[in-house]
Amino acid sequence: MTVQILLLVGLVLFSVAAVLLKDLIKAAISLALASLLLGILFFRLGAPYAGAFEISVVAGLITVLFMLTIALTKTGGDVAESKLLTVAFPFFFAVFLAIDVLVTRSLVLKIAALPAAPEAGAFGEVLWKQRTLDLVGQVCIIFAGVLAVLALFRKRSKDNDD
Amino acid sequence: MTSTWTPYLLAAAILLFTGIYCLLAMRNLIKLFIGVEIISKSVSLIIVATGFAKKSILVAQSLVVTFIVVEVSLVATALAIIINLYRHTKSLDIRRLSKLKG
Repeated sequence: MTVQILLLVGLVLFSVAAVLLKDLIKAAISLALASLLLGILFFRLGAPYAGAFEISVVAGLITVLFMLTIALTKTGGDVAESKLLTVAFPFFFAVFLAIDVLVTRSLVLKIAALPAAPEAGAFGEVLWKQRTLDLVGQVCIIFAGVLAVLALFRKRSKDNDD
Repeated sequence: MTSTWTPYLLAAAILLFTGIYCLLAMRNLIKLFIGVEIISKSVSLIIVATGFAKKSILVAQSLVVTFIVVEVSLVATALAIIINLYRHTKSLDIRRLSKLKG
């Protein structure tokens, strides 16, 4: 449990760093490290497939996409953020943390958990047999994403170019 | 269930708060998207943690795998939109996106 709590603390710290760091590349790397810790946490919780997906896709592919976007938008990347809101973040964070702890202790722990049927079988059986509709949705969303990216990056004809 | 679940619940709530704060306070489009990513991490963490606590990790795992695939599609589309917006406005500042303002 100690390792899990350390991983959770690291995950929160790297996520906060990703928000507060001014340099976008450092923020993207911080986000990737947070994903890496989340992936390790998934392995520790007995979800190796989710962990592998998290590390390879979110920490790897999405970081590469972020880096590419930051490189392509380098000259306009300097946006003046509101200093007041950045400075006030630790205050709001502490207030939220206090409320979070109080609500969890007083309300959530008193709510009885709903009964769940014990599950059996392997991950593949659950994914391919029980969650088939999810897979159909995934395929549709991937196609929609591909079409959206193609539409956004299509070459404009000379008549429409202004 | 609750004692093993509590730290994950707390951490997921903090991540959700951080992401929403980022969405509300930041002005850089890429920073805003980092906020969205943090919120999605919070959601996947709470799904797996709940599956672990309720001994139904397989369903939770398959849901998270689906969620990650959807997330990648979302990221690709959103970053393409950000690049297109940058080409139009030469800036990543959301305050300059006022063309559609009523």
